[in-house]
Amino acid sequence: MQAVTTLCVENLWLERGDRDLCRGLSFSLQGGQVARIIGENGAGKSSLLKYLVGTLSAVEGSVAFNGEDISAHRDVLIQDLLYIGHTPGVKSVFTVAENLKLYAPHSSNQELEYALTQVSLDAYWDTPAAQLSAGQKRRVALARLWLTQKPVWLLDEPFTALDVSGVEVLEQRIKDHVITGGIVVLTTHQPLHSLNPVTIELAS
Amino acid sequence: MNWTWFHKLGSPKWFFQWADRWGKVCFWFGTVLLIVGVIWGLGFAPQDYQQGNSFRIIYIHVPAAVLAQSCYLAMGIAGFVALVWQMKLAPVFIKAVAPVGAVMAFISLVSGAIWGKPTWGTWWVWDARLTSVLVLFLLYMGVIAIQNTLDDLQLADKAVAVISIVGVINLPIIKYSVEWWNTLHQPATFKLTEKPAMPVEMWLPLLFSALGLYLFAAGVSMWRMQNEVLVRERRANWVKEEVMKRGV
Amino acid sequence: MTLSSFFKAELLTLFRRKQSIFNALIFFVMVVTLFPLGVDPSPDFLAPAAGGIIWCAIALAILMSVESLFKEDYNDGSLEQWLVSGHSVSVLVLLKVFAQWLMVVIPLVLALPFLSKMLFLASELIPVMLVSVLVGSPALFLIGAIGAALTVSLRGGAVLMLLLILPLYIPVIIFATGAVRAAQLEMPFTGQLAILGAISLLALAISPLMAAISIKASVS
Repeated sequence: MQAVTTLCVENLWLERGDRDLCRGLSFSLQGGQVARIIGENGAGKSSLLKYLVGTLSAVEGSVAFNGEDISAHRDVLIQDLLYIGHTPGVKSVFTVAENLKLYAPHSSNQELEYALTQVSLDAYWDTPAAQLSAGQKRRVALARLWLTQKPVWLLDEPFTALDVSGVEVLEQRIKDHVITGGIVVLTTHQPLHSLNPVTIELAS
Repeated sequence: MNWTWFHKLGSPKWFFQWADRWGKVCFWFGTVLLIVGVIWGLGFAPQDYQQGNSFRIIYIHVPAAVLAQSCYLAMGIAGFVALVWQMKLAPVFIKAVAPVGAVMAFISLVSGAIWGKPTWGTWWVWDARLTSVLVLFLLYMGVIAIQNTLDDLQLADKAVAVISIVGVINLPIIKYSVEWWNTLHQPATFKLTEKPAMPVEMWLPLLFSALGLYLFAAGVSMWRMQNEVLVRERRANWVKEEVMKRGV
Repeated sequence: MTLSSFFKAELLTLFRRKQSIFNALIFFVMVVTLFPLGVDPSPDFLAPAAGGIIWCAIALAILMSVESLFKEDYNDGSLEQWLVSGHSVSVLVLLKVFAQWLMVVIPLVLALPFLSKMLFLASELIPVMLVSVLVGSPALFLIGAIGAALTVSLRGGAVLMLLLILPLYIPVIIFATGAVRAAQLEMPFTGQLAILGAISLLALAISPLMAAISIKASVS
């Protein structure tokens, strides 16, 4: 049996400019858990995700993945990671399908179609992303969640600009993912209906 | 070899106190040397047998030109240190030294033009050395510009480090290419007079003013670095104590 | 994201954005046209100056096309995805620059014989001109990529980028025009071309690394 995936942050100190975003923050997650980062606007929710991904450096603190210290190099984590940031990397010159193929080159057309159906974009296969609305663009990025095998998902505001049914489908997908032993860390302002997340609070 | 000093340099507090002492020493010692060298050179050194009195500008021109190049080299090294060892003080050094180097390059350009008028009969010629100092000046402007444009401090630090390294790697290529280009275009008519073996009375003041200018610039740079350290470490306790102590 | 899917996507992007490549080409023709108009249209001036004029125009056109190399990727979040792709950012930069080089240099090279003739450059010198462009232009793209990466987070970074990068183009311009001039004087010119190649190789070694550092700093 595969060992349980774990992600532990210890004694984290992040700052932006002169302001501490968090100090002495510790949490520990394991496969099967959803974590939700909460805090006001500007509290540093995205920054915390960026720290986990490795694009933002901390003043102090360490992070371990599956028991291995990855504070200096995130290579091990990145192998197992899917990150969808605030701007999700959807290229406006590409069609919806081309966007997905860039990130999931090994998926067959059927798999891509299945993923697009899940986010109800199946009618937009050949539509240039430039013609999509903000919510539809986000769905294009989120369609990757149906094409990936990676255990750790870091999602920055995944529910923004999604309609009610979109939120439901996404929550269901997240639920399915953690049941198979995955970890999901997300930020959102919206109430979650069917998920029961661990809360990581960033107080300002 | 004992590397403690190198690690200590990484500590802003230690540097601040070290620079407090040595900055003054460098500055005043340098000023005195510079004044002695320049007065000696301008007033008392013997005339050049070809150029007469006009050669005396060498006592300003040469030290400034050499210092301008040294500063950029030092910035390149600091950039390397900043990227490889992430030393906090390295970007501070680059930021402090860049304007000093730019001023030196400018002085060297202006004094070169002033020197050129009586010697070559024109303010400017596309002499290889003059041209490479001009390019050096432009490189300095680039570093200063990007430092001032990027608001994010971490990004600005990385940017000046990168551009200093790239500039230093390019500097010899630029120098070599400009020299090669110049010899192709213009034969030696406009070259500076071949250096005759300078008598002691001529080169000693030059040595004085060059050394003086180096120390002077080191002193000024250390003060500039001290200021920058205070701003960057403003949240640290030792800075608060330092400021209280001086009653600012 | 695999390296081949990335490279294909880059080529496709450039193909869809062909107008910007076309713009660079038109800009190149434009700058070349200014010299006869602004200085002197006689063959006596133009023929010896042709190498220099064409190379200055090429350098500016390339700088224009490289300036916004990473801009769109920065704005749509793709650069962030580069960092979590598991690939070395330097390699991605290199692939991107290579794609850009292919798509910009091919039309430039095609336009070159015509412009050379318009500037009264002797026919036997055109191959030298072409080789100098093929050997020297990689350095221009690679060095330019550093500037583009450094200024990617700035709204109006174009002028700053020009200020940073143009001085670094000087050696390439000198040796490239030097090769053409040497050929005009019927002197050996392979030395200059070899130095151009050496500069391009040096840029190949250093620039992707420096651009990657700049991109990482810009994204955070």
